[in-house]
Amino acid sequence: MAIRAWVPSAEPFAQLQREMNRLFDSVFGKHFGGGRLRAAYVYPATNVRETTDAYLVTSEVPGLEMDDLEVYVTRDQLTLSGMRDHGIPREGATLHRRERDSGRFSRAINLPGPVQGDATEATLTNGVLTIRIPKAEEAKPKRVQVSVEK
Amino acid sequence: MSKAIDVDVERGQDPTVPPESYFLPATDVYETEDALVLLAEMPGVAPDGLDVTVEDNVLVIRGDPVSGAAEDGDVLLKEFEVGSFYRAFQLPADYDTEKVEASVRQGVLTLRLPKSDRLKPRRIEVKAE
Repeated sequence: MAIRAWVPSAEPFAQLQREMNRLFDSVFGKHFGGGRLRAAYVYPATNVRETTDAYLVTSEVPGLEMDDLEVYVTRDQLTLSGMRDHGIPREGATLHRRERDSGRFSRAINLPGPVQGDATEATLTNGVLTIRIPKAEEAKPKRVQVSVEK
Repeated sequence: MSKAIDVDVERGQDPTVPPESYFLPATDVYETEDALVLLAEMPGVAPDGLDVTVEDNVLVIRGDPVSGAAEDGDVLLKEFEVGSFYRAFQLPADYDTEKVEASVRQGVLTLRLPKSDRLKPRRIEVKAE
């Protein structure tokens, strides 16, 4: 298997932020009784895994319905965009605590190789978006028959 | 007074005890004329993985995520971890904890705590002498 270095542009900062959060947690963590807040450095928080024939993407989008989400796949890029509504009445509500973010978002994730965008499957369950993007045929590993010369 | 609301109690654990490690769900709290409403984000938690308890005016919410399918493949990007959510809130007195309504939709828990009649705004008639 080819080894590819894949560094999304936000990743070095995200890494730094994670380290800072870890540091803060280790110092102030007791105030939260051991709990951690999810760091919102980029939205939606996304995990990507690669199998031999597909990229598997999971994103945390609590509160969103499929109608609030737009998922685009080009040859080697996935774009997630949409609108987060906080669900708080505009009038007649007094806010006591406001931790959830809201508003329009858009995020592009570069994939390391070409994909079959039209064969993408996306499902939304319990606020987690799961996307399976099959790799393009040319990007799948091929088994090479090795013949032994006599 | 102790009351469990909308809970799946049969999971063999005390939901008011925090798990060993957990995430704090991002939470909005707002108040209307007749209720206090709490919105908590717990992505990956199914309705039957949620526990909500109120005891001595302490509201505890806990959510355990659905244990997902095997995580096959190589990790290319990891921005979140899957784990339990837990958070406790001290409630002001005078909320009718018997009437808490809980619902969950796409990983967002909505709790509505009706105010007891004593807290609701009252119009006071002013009489002319």
